[in-house]
Amino acid sequence: MQKALTVPENEVAHTMAHNDETICVGIDLGTSRSSISASNGERHVVDSYVGWPLDMVARKVIKKPVLIGGEALENRSMLDLRRPLENGVIKEGSERDAQAVQELLRHLVSLIGINNDGKQHKLRAVVGVPAEAMQTSRLRLRTAMDGIADSVMLVSEPFAVAYGTEALLHAMVIDIGAGTADICVMQGRYPTEDDQRTLPNAGDSIDERLLGSLQEHHPQAQFSIHAIRAWKEKWSFVGESKRRVVVTTAADGKPIDIDITEDLRAACESIVAPIAETVRDLVARVEPEYQQRVLKNIILSGGSSLIEGLPEALKSALSELGKAQITLVQDPVFAGADGGLAIAQDASAGDWEKLSL
Amino acid sequence: MLMRSLENTKRQMIREVIQTNLENRARKVRHKRLRWQILRWAWASLMTVTALLAISSFVISRGKTSSSIAVDANAAIVHPLPAQRTDEPPVPQTPPSDVNLSVLPLSVKRIVIDPGHGGDQFGAISNTGLAEKDVTLDIALRLRELMKQSPFEVLLTRETDQTVTLADRVAFANSKKADLFVSIHINSMQPRSIRPLETYYVGASNDPQVLQLARVENRQSGYSLSEYRQLLDKVYLDVRRNESRELANTVDAELYRSLKPLNPKLNDRGVKTAPFAVLVGTQMPAVLAEVSSLSNADDDKLLKDGQYREKIAASLFEGIRIYAKSLNGTGKRGGAHNGT
Repeated sequence: MQKALTVPENEVAHTMAHNDETICVGIDLGTSRSSISASNGERHVVDSYVGWPLDMVARKVIKKPVLIGGEALENRSMLDLRRPLENGVIKEGSERDAQAVQELLRHLVSLIGINNDGKQHKLRAVVGVPAEAMQTSRLRLRTAMDGIADSVMLVSEPFAVAYGTEALLHAMVIDIGAGTADICVMQGRYPTEDDQRTLPNAGDSIDERLLGSLQEHHPQAQFSIHAIRAWKEKWSFVGESKRRVVVTTAADGKPIDIDITEDLRAACESIVAPIAETVRDLVARVEPEYQQRVLKNIILSGGSSLIEGLPEALKSALSELGKAQITLVQDPVFAGADGGLAIAQDASAGDWEKLSL
Repeated sequence: MLMRSLENTKRQMIREVIQTNLENRARKVRHKRLRWQILRWAWASLMTVTALLAISSFVISRGKTSSSIAVDANAAIVHPLPAQRTDEPPVPQTPPSDVNLSVLPLSVKRIVIDPGHGGDQFGAISNTGLAEKDVTLDIALRLRELMKQSPFEVLLTRETDQTVTLADRVAFANSKKADLFVSIHINSMQPRSIRPLETYYVGASNDPQVLQLARVENRQSGYSLSEYRQLLDKVYLDVRRNESRELANTVDAELYRSLKPLNPKLNDRGVKTAPFAVLVGTQMPAVLAEVSSLSNADDDKLLKDGQYREKIAASLFEGIRIYAKSLNGTGKRGGAHNGT
C-alpha cells in the first residue's frame, strides 16, 4: 500500500478530523468478488452473492434471514440467490436486487469490525465503479450506501488501482474483473471519459464461452456455471498449455472425466484481442511523445488478471506498437480496495464533509 | 522534488474526484426534484381526465348528441386511440378527425425494445468477428438504463444472449400491451465502403436491397405463410402505421444528428418501409432501426467502442422521447389520424 500524502500546514485542521473515531475504507464492489480495505488494518474479500431462504423449511435449516458470499453460494439450492452486480453495475429490476446490494455492502462493512469496540465511528467510504458506469448506476450505488457510511466518494475502478500503485502519469491500468475489463490511461489528471473504456470481455464472458464450448463438444455431459467458474479460477491460461486440464462432471448420472484444455484456452484467449484493441485505441489518443512511455508502464489488476500467461499474451498482441511492459499488481484482488483506501485517507475532512450522505 | 510533484498530482486528482462526485450528487437532487414534478404532473393529469370523463358521462346520460357536447375538444379521451390498449379495434361512426392527445400526457408509457437476433442467430458478423446479436443487446441494455430516468416503462424481448423467434418477440410486445416497439439491428451490405443508417416502419417495398434485407431479418420468424399473409392484409388498414412513420422519422433524425459528428461518412438513407416480421405483427407503432453497418471496417471499429454504442442508445432514447412529447404535447401534430 502507498504512503499517505504529506499534508501542508494550512490543511492540518482537516487531518485532525481523521481522528480515532473516523474509519476510512476502500471498497471494490465486484460482479464476482467484492473486497474492502479499512484504515484499521482490516482487509476482507467475499463472493458477491446474496441469498434469502426460499421457504419455511429453508429458513429453519439455514437459521439466518440472509446469507452472503460463499455461504450463500454453498446453500444456493435453498435460497433466492442474487448477484447484486451485472456487467459491473448494480442490477435494478426488483426491490430484492436493491436489497441485495445493500446487504452486500453492509456485510462488507461489518467485516471490518468497527462496532466491536462500542464506540461510534464515522465511516468514510471510497467505492470503485466501472470506468464507464452510467450516471444512473452511480446514483443507485450512492443510494445503496445511505445508512451504511457517513460519506461516500465514487471513483472509477482503474483510477483507484492507479492511485494505489502511484501509476498516475504516462501509465495505463487494465483492471479485469468478472463483469467488465476497465482500461484507463493516466496522464497526470483525473481520467476523463475519453481516457477510460469498459469492456464486457472479462471473467463472466470467459465462463459463458467455456460453458457453450463444452456443451457443444460434450453434449452428453452436464455442466453448471458454478463448476465452470471454479475450473476457470483454478486452471485458466492462455498460450501454450503446461498441463492437460481434466475435470470430473456427470453424464446420465454417472461421473465422467473430460479434457477441457483446449476449450479453456480458447475461452480465456477470447478476451485478449478486444483488450489489446482497446489498449491500442487509448494509446493512440495519448500525445505521440508519451505513447511509448505509456506502453512501458501498463499495470494489470483484477481477479481475471491472474489468468496464466495473460501478460505475455497481451504483450504479444501489442507488439506492433512497440515493446510493452506489463506488470501484474502485487495483490490483484485488493488493488482496487487498497487504492480506494488511499484516496479516502488522502482526502481532507473538509472534502468528506461535502460528500456526506 | 519528484515526491513533491507526485503529492501535488495526487492532491489535484483528489480535488477533481471530489468535484465530479459533487456534480453527480447535484444530478441526484435534480433527479429527485424531477421525479416529484412528474408525479405531481401525472396526478394533476389524472384528476383532469377523471373530471372530463365524469362530465362526458353526465352529458351522454342526458341523451345529448356528441356534436352538442360542450367539451367536444376533449372527446378524444373516450375514443380508443391506436397508442392506447384496447381489446377490440375501434369502429369509427364518423370519418376520422384530428385527436388532441394533450389530455393524455402519459399516452406513451410502455416501450418494448427488441435487440435483434440472439442465441444461435448471430445476425451480421464483421470481418473481425463482431456479431450483430452482441451489439444489439448491448445497445438495448444501455437504452434501458437511460430510460430508467424517464417516465417510460421499458421491457426487452431478450436480456441475454438467447434465441427468441420473431413470432415470440411480436407476441411478447402484444401481450405486454406495449405502446411502442423499437427493434435494433446492425446492417451489413455491399459495397463494404458504405456506412448506411436506415430506419424502417411497416409497409411494402420494391427495393430489391430492402427486400433482401427483409428476407435475412425475417429468417426463422416462426410464422406460417398463411399467418404472415393475414398479418400483411391487416396492416395497411391499421392507423398505427402513421404513428410508426412519425416515430421512424424522429428516431432516424436523432440517430443521424448525433452520430454524424462521430462518424462523418455516415450515409443517412432515411426512413423506409419494409415488411419485416416484427413490424408486421406488432399491434403498436413500431420501427426497426439499422443503426450502423458491420460490413464497413470503420463502423465495425466504432461499434466496438462503448461510447459510440452509448451514443446510439442515447439517440434512440432522444428520438423516442421527442416522438412521445409530440404525441402528448403541443398539438402541432394532427394526432393519430393525420392521414397516410
